[in-house]
Amino acid sequence: MDGYNFAYLDEQTKRMIHRALLKAVAIPGYQVPFGGREMPMPYGWGTGGVQLTASILGADDILKVIDQGADDTTNAVSIRHFFQRVAGVETTTATTAADVIQTRHRIPETPLRAGQILVFQVPIPEPLRFIEPSEQETRLMHALEEYGVMHVKLYEDIARYGHIATTYAYPVKVDGRYVMDPSPIPKFDNPKLDGNPALMLFGAGREKRLYAIPPYTPVESLDFEDHPFEIQRWEHSCALCGSDRSYLDEVITDDKGGRMFVCSDTDYCQTRRGDVA
Amino acid sequence: MTVKTEMTKDLVWPGLADPAHDSQRLFRQILGAMSEPGTLTTLALPAPPQAAPSDALGAALWGAVLTLCDLETRVWIAADLDSPALRQALTFHTGARITDDPVSADFALLTHESFDPQTPFALGSDTYPDRATTLLVVVERLANAGPSMLSGPGIETTRALDIGDSPGCRALKDRLAANRASFPRGLDMIFGCGAQLAAVPRSTRVDSREVN
Ligand SMILES: [Zn+2]
Repeated sequence: MDGYNFAYLDEQTKRMIHRALLKAVAIPGYQVPFGGREMPMPYGWGTGGVQLTASILGADDILKVIDQGADDTTNAVSIRHFFQRVAGVETTTATTAADVIQTRHRIPETPLRAGQILVFQVPIPEPLRFIEPSEQETRLMHALEEYGVMHVKLYEDIARYGHIATTYAYPVKVDGRYVMDPSPIPKFDNPKLDGNPALMLFGAGREKRLYAIPPYTPVESLDFEDHPFEIQRWEHSCALCGSDRSYLDEVITDDKGGRMFVCSDTDYCQTRRGDVA
Repeated sequence: MTVKTEMTKDLVWPGLADPAHDSQRLFRQILGAMSEPGTLTTLALPAPPQAAPSDALGAALWGAVLTLCDLETRVWIAADLDSPALRQALTFHTGARITDDPVSADFALLTHESFDPQTPFALGSDTYPDRATTLLVVVERLANAGPSMLSGPGIETTRALDIGDSPGCRALKDRLAANRASFPRGLDMIFGCGAQLAAVPRSTRVDSREVN
């Protein structure tokens, strides 16, 4: 292990990200531009999250990496191995044991605690991008709190489907000010953003933006009085651990059309199975 | 922690002995302080020399300078902290550029005594509020007590923070309270008192009621 470039990034890049992170924390939900470096992996693998993790990780941190809730996907395993190699850090699959958790598309079911840092990989940081392609214009919309278009988009859903059809990357408003893309987590996870005791950091590698939700920050999902925000619910409980309150994935069990619903959060599910066994 | 030192006119301004790991450790403390406004943290590093005529910068703020500044940053120094020794140490250890123009400064070093609400630091713009000066301020004391209550992001309910009673400390509290009116533009402050550090970003609501 090369101590000089601990955790892969050079010291100047880390300092630049450090300065941007302090600004992100000071202005919750605001996207801070940063001059990221190229990472040795393709963008789809979460370079933004990897850069944030690399810039905050210390030798005595315990790291957890999840992809869609699972610790054992190819993406999660290779990012975990990357940090074992370049930082020599201890890793874990246990949410409760981790100091830093890098995630793609989920927030763990096990409640986070004060002092933990959750790092999200973000593909598209700008929640207004699908309405307005110009960065200059979206910045102006954020500056003027011109968020009516976002409500129009959600209301078009209601007109067309009778409910808000957006189920992932469901937009939130942070501390009553900035509308923010929570990354492609299921809207099931949105309530966990609100008042969470952990620090949540978001990194977008391609667009080189980072943003933050400090601990205990009010985060509300956008909705309407006559159509309040609702999370996904299932008829089933987890087929493996019996949980009736976790986010479930439908998995195919055989080639005869057999299927079952299981927790997307593998650590949560395995811990529950261990507890009841 | 071992110390690497640089002699400047027989005053020893310590650098970080192990830059990669020390700056990571100190940054995480500063990030924690900014994320949970008003919490106190003690930065473990050697103190700079107590040679300045008034309050010295103190170990915590010197640690913040070493952690956050480099040749991409501009630093403004208030007259009461300014000295050839500090300038040399800052340049030697960080490569930061020193500026006389507060609006162009990324970081400003000052004390509660030299704080002037009229100093035109950068507040950022409505579209780029991050382009604001971060103030590193030596204060009289740091304690979670007193009538000044903080609330907002990073604070579960409220948190008391006492930085001192001097006219400068009162002016700092008033300036912090004024951040809400200009949000998202504003000034983020990192306070130091010896090795202790606390931060109050612009997102924090400060109840600045006075007690007589
Ligand atoms: Zn389960």
